[in-house]
Amino acid sequence: MMKRDTFLATLLGLSCLVAWEGYVRLAHTSPLVLPAPSVIGQSLWQGLHNGYLWPHIVHTLTEVVLGLCLGAFLGFVGGILLGESARWRGVLMPFVVISQVVPKLALAPLFIVWFGFGTLPTVVMTALICFFPLLENTVTCMQHINANQLELFRMLRASRWQTLWRLKIPAGLAHIMAGFRVAVVLAWVGAVVGEFIGASRGLGALIIAAQGSMDTPLMFAVLTLITVLGLTFYKLCDMLEQHWLNSSSDTSTRTTS
Amino acid sequence: MHFLQLDALHFAYPHRGEVVRDVCMQLAPGEIRCLIGRSGCGKTTVLKLAAGLLTPQHGQVSLKGQAVQQPVPDMGFVFQSPTLLNWLSVLDNVLLPLSLHGAINPEQRAYGEQLLAQMGLSNLCGDKPHRLSGGQQSRVAIARALVTRPSVLFMDEPFAALDAITRDELQRDFLDLCQTQGTAVLFVTHDMAEAVYLADHVSLMHAGGIQTSLAIDLPRPRQTAMRYTPAFNSLCEKLRLAMDAAA
Repeated sequence: MMKRDTFLATLLGLSCLVAWEGYVRLAHTSPLVLPAPSVIGQSLWQGLHNGYLWPHIVHTLTEVVLGLCLGAFLGFVGGILLGESARWRGVLMPFVVISQVVPKLALAPLFIVWFGFGTLPTVVMTALICFFPLLENTVTCMQHINANQLELFRMLRASRWQTLWRLKIPAGLAHIMAGFRVAVVLAWVGAVVGEFIGASRGLGALIIAAQGSMDTPLMFAVLTLITVLGLTFYKLCDMLEQHWLNSSSDTSTRTTS
Repeated sequence: MHFLQLDALHFAYPHRGEVVRDVCMQLAPGEIRCLIGRSGCGKTTVLKLAAGLLTPQHGQVSLKGQAVQQPVPDMGFVFQSPTLLNWLSVLDNVLLPLSLHGAINPEQRAYGEQLLAQMGLSNLCGDKPHRLSGGQQSRVAIARALVTRPSVLFMDEPFAALDAITRDELQRDFLDLCQTQGTAVLFVTHDMAEAVYLADHVSLMHAGGIQTSLAIDLPRPRQTAMRYTPAFNSLCEKLRLAMDAAA
């Protein structure tokens, strides 16, 4: 069933590309407005082949990974703290929501003032965007643990720490990872938008540079790269989740000899 | 001094009236006592009070002469639903009460496997619980409760959701295991035939209090064929009449 779905999805994607290519060729659309997929592919291949794109890819990848790690760590730890303590939740949650309802794009100039040009403001922006889905999902799953399972752990005289690591986190892992998947996708938005505003390197900065030089095929080529990298991160996240879900059993009751 | 003693227990949940009133009960070592009554009469609350999961507003629970303020290692509890952890294997679920208090040694692991074998699940040790049927999950929950060799077991309608044949088989296997280990059991049920088949004594609850108690003088070990004898049916009828009188 899955293979069939994948085949159909691929077929749909290819059909869209063929339709796009056909439309551009038949309508003689200007490449400045809408370049054909074959032209975009050529631009992408040239950029990769002559090494022009690689420093930008590495730069953006670094920002995404650093921002994602920082945001996910803070979101996860914050989610556990707020999920475990109603008092902390009541006091801090309004501020967390305030930090998220402020448009991030509006904060970017402020970050440049505070952190200067370059990697740091983009990493901070990415972390700020990634932080919330992890926090929200972790808080939610901490509060929705099966009451009987909690009672079972009380009956087994488990400590608060054991209840957290042996019950709440494994039980909520699917929700936490759902938050992480959203964070992984948003990390690319954060990094690219951050580079739009205050960077001279990276894929976001390259889109702005391509716009300035009216190089629309390069803009599409960079968008394609961002899409492929984003999808790869999403898939890696999926694989990580499967690995954790499968391995949690093996580590919990190891036998001593 | 009794093995497990409940002395004049009173309990009220916040924003609800008193749900347990002046409950007194004693269990001897190895005794099986069923607590029967209509839904909402306070059976599960009494069970949780006895297990130390709830604290009575008045009265006291004592086990082997020691006051019970919270769950102690000598107790096991089986919930109405199996409450298995889906991310652990069947064997890891059984060993959970031990693994929370230290690394598992080979003897403990072997004992967990032996319990599963006695429950007829030896070939499912490595499976995840969601692959098991409802009856098999209940068996795993019982094995988990017995793995610490508790002297008293609290059971909260553990077989209520099972079909009749699976329930009969589980009752038989459960009795075998408890009698092998000499475990005392306080068993909550609303099924009169189950209460008569399992118990040495049945206490009937109504409106938060113990209405009456009935001694079940059927011989042990209990056989499935006993369910169709006049003595068994007469005890079920007595229980039914007592329940109707209480209502």
